[in-house]
Amino acid sequence: MPRAYSRREFLNWIGAAGGSSAVYQASIGLGLIPAVTLAAPMASVTELGSLRRSVVVLGAGLSGLACAYELERAGYTCTVIEASHRIGGRNMTLRSGDIVDEMGHRQVCEFDDHPNLYFNAGPARIPAHHKILLHYCKTLDVPLEVFVNENRHAWVHDSNAFDGQPLRMRAYIADARGFMTELMAKAINQRDFDAPFTDQDAERFFQFLRAYGDLDEKGIYQGSSRAGYQSGGMLVPAVHKTPFDFRKILNHDFWRIKMHWAEGEDQASPMMQAVGGNDNIVRGFTKNLKSPVITNAPVQSIMLRDKAVDVIYNHQGINKRINADYCLNCIPKHLIPGIHNNFPADYLEAMASVKRGKLMKIGLQMSERFWEKQNIYGGISWTDQKIEQIWYPTHGIHDAKGVMLGAYIFNDGTNAEYARLTPVERLATAIEQGSKIHAGYGKYVETGVSVAWHRMNYMMGCTAQWSEEARQRWFERLQRPEGRHYLMGDQISFHAGWQEGALSSAHYVLDDVNQRVQAELKGNATNA
Amino acid sequence: MQRTHRRASTCWLAYLSAILSSTASAVPEIVAAPEGLRQCVVCHGVELTGNRSVDAPNLSVLSTWYIERQLLNYKRGLRAPHGSTDDLIGREMQPMAAALDDESIVSVLAFAERVPERAALVTMMGDVARGAKLYTSCAACHGVNGEGNQSLSAPRLSGQSDWYLARQLENYQTGARGAEPGDIWGAQMRASVAMLSDEDDIDHVVSYINSLSP
Repeated sequence: MPRAYSRREFLNWIGAAGGSSAVYQASIGLGLIPAVTLAAPMASVTELGSLRRSVVVLGAGLSGLACAYELERAGYTCTVIEASHRIGGRNMTLRSGDIVDEMGHRQVCEFDDHPNLYFNAGPARIPAHHKILLHYCKTLDVPLEVFVNENRHAWVHDSNAFDGQPLRMRAYIADARGFMTELMAKAINQRDFDAPFTDQDAERFFQFLRAYGDLDEKGIYQGSSRAGYQSGGMLVPAVHKTPFDFRKILNHDFWRIKMHWAEGEDQASPMMQAVGGNDNIVRGFTKNLKSPVITNAPVQSIMLRDKAVDVIYNHQGINKRINADYCLNCIPKHLIPGIHNNFPADYLEAMASVKRGKLMKIGLQMSERFWEKQNIYGGISWTDQKIEQIWYPTHGIHDAKGVMLGAYIFNDGTNAEYARLTPVERLATAIEQGSKIHAGYGKYVETGVSVAWHRMNYMMGCTAQWSEEARQRWFERLQRPEGRHYLMGDQISFHAGWQEGALSSAHYVLDDVNQRVQAELKGNATNA
Repeated sequence: MQRTHRRASTCWLAYLSAILSSTASAVPEIVAAPEGLRQCVVCHGVELTGNRSVDAPNLSVLSTWYIERQLLNYKRGLRAPHGSTDDLIGREMQPMAAALDDESIVSVLAFAERVPERAALVTMMGDVARGAKLYTSCAACHGVNGEGNQSLSAPRLSGQSDWYLARQLENYQTGARGAEPGDIWGAQMRASVAMLSDEDDIDHVVSYINSLSP
């Protein structure tokens, strides 16, 4: 006789085993799906005609490039000023010979010179609903390919569960779902759970649980082909894997966040990447831009003037001035106080309220694509170690070599710690931790490169960290122009760290500038 | 059609020449970081005035002998040495200093010498009167106006970013700074900060330093 579960125990089980997704699925089953709203339309800048307006764009990241591109097409005179030696901001793809301009630890990427041996050190995946970015990829002829974000064949690893052995994601998920739904099915059968349901509802829910967890007709989980076969399935009958111990599953950290990661707003399949590297998006803009983009030109001073902005930048050792009608600025807000300016105190206070985030990626060139022998093609393995994630390249399948992501570190403390290691030490620690998932990992590593975004020259942060309080108090203040100066980029969006955030902010600015210029035009016409 | 187009082009040229002439007009004097040392101003700010958002102090008020000593301390492992975890912010500076060769240090100092002095913004509001009392023992080395004294190896304090002074005092208290063997001046400061025994003493003394002008 099965053990009876109290309602409290039952709910605890569900909650523990990642109930949110089950509840969500159940709510879909009951017809409670929320309506989907479309993204805001893109800005369109009215052509100036014979009128002249000048714009200086500070920073050649995505928001800066998009603004210059749209404004010059509408007849504005644009100049883009970029402090770094390269264009693209955090959209950076590393290939053979590229410089990683990290503060104090300048590195040269020593990957082989091969079209598939690269890694996207910045944005790496494009969600299907990031409409503005996709619009530019389409109109600027940037070919895209599918990017594998979630791979059920990849590994999930928790040093403190299953004796530290990595498990196949599909096996973990199938078994977790199986056990969870079995428990729910038992609860229904015991009529502890039927108060809000009619008998018919209860029956439907039972069938839902069976389908969701792959239970037998009695509502018992006997293992599932979803977990992957133990053996056979082609010429001999398939043998199901023996299900994991449910207590061990619960003891594993995978269910807390990682198991549901690929269901996130911006993580759901299928995702995309630019063929040949995501910096082809940057190239798409620069190929189509006529306006000058001046690199190696750090800004020295931004002065608001009556109906203009004065910018001084240094180029080739000489200070140069641009006086423009508008200044669109995507310099990281935490670096702006270090630039001479005459901004009002509250504007600077607003900037200071947003903290600089930390993020690190490590790319490893592997002598062979050993992961493909383990049925892994693209996607992410997870670990509770400090490297957090291992990514397998979606591109270059069955090539001789591949560049994989040996670490993608979100944790603030780990980032602070790793930024203070030398690049060589970072690689060593990434290899050591990777070996816990892939035994003998180190023998494949030919070379590697680490990108600590919070230590990159002219960046010193990724991504902007808004507290709830700062959002409430300062978001609109920073979004609003100060005179003719606009702060923009992903930092002035609810999507820091995403190209769509940068482009949405750019379109907000474009829309505002356009309205102001058109209003001036109307004013002039009325006066005349 | 052709005509309109030509007129637009003429406007365009006039406009371009207007921009060019404005570019050519006098550019206010701003001392730019020399090529190869631009990384300094990314954090410490144009003309080295400091930037709290990235924890970088005001270097414009410091004497070059003091800047040089600190760069060498970082380089030689006397301040925030590699592998230490106490002074995490100092650890951000350490690789920057370590990457400088002798020639670059000379350039840094020449650059620091050229930038105009600018006092940092005041952000701390402690009890100035109580701070004044506490400061009397500091004044023996750092000077009654916080002007510093090279012969005693005491840096200038006035005009320095107050949040930075406070953090350094805390670092001396915890041993995150000044505890490395060989850092003789740091050891002296470690002994001196013992007198800041009350929780708010640092606030008060730094607020008093804010009121000084050499």
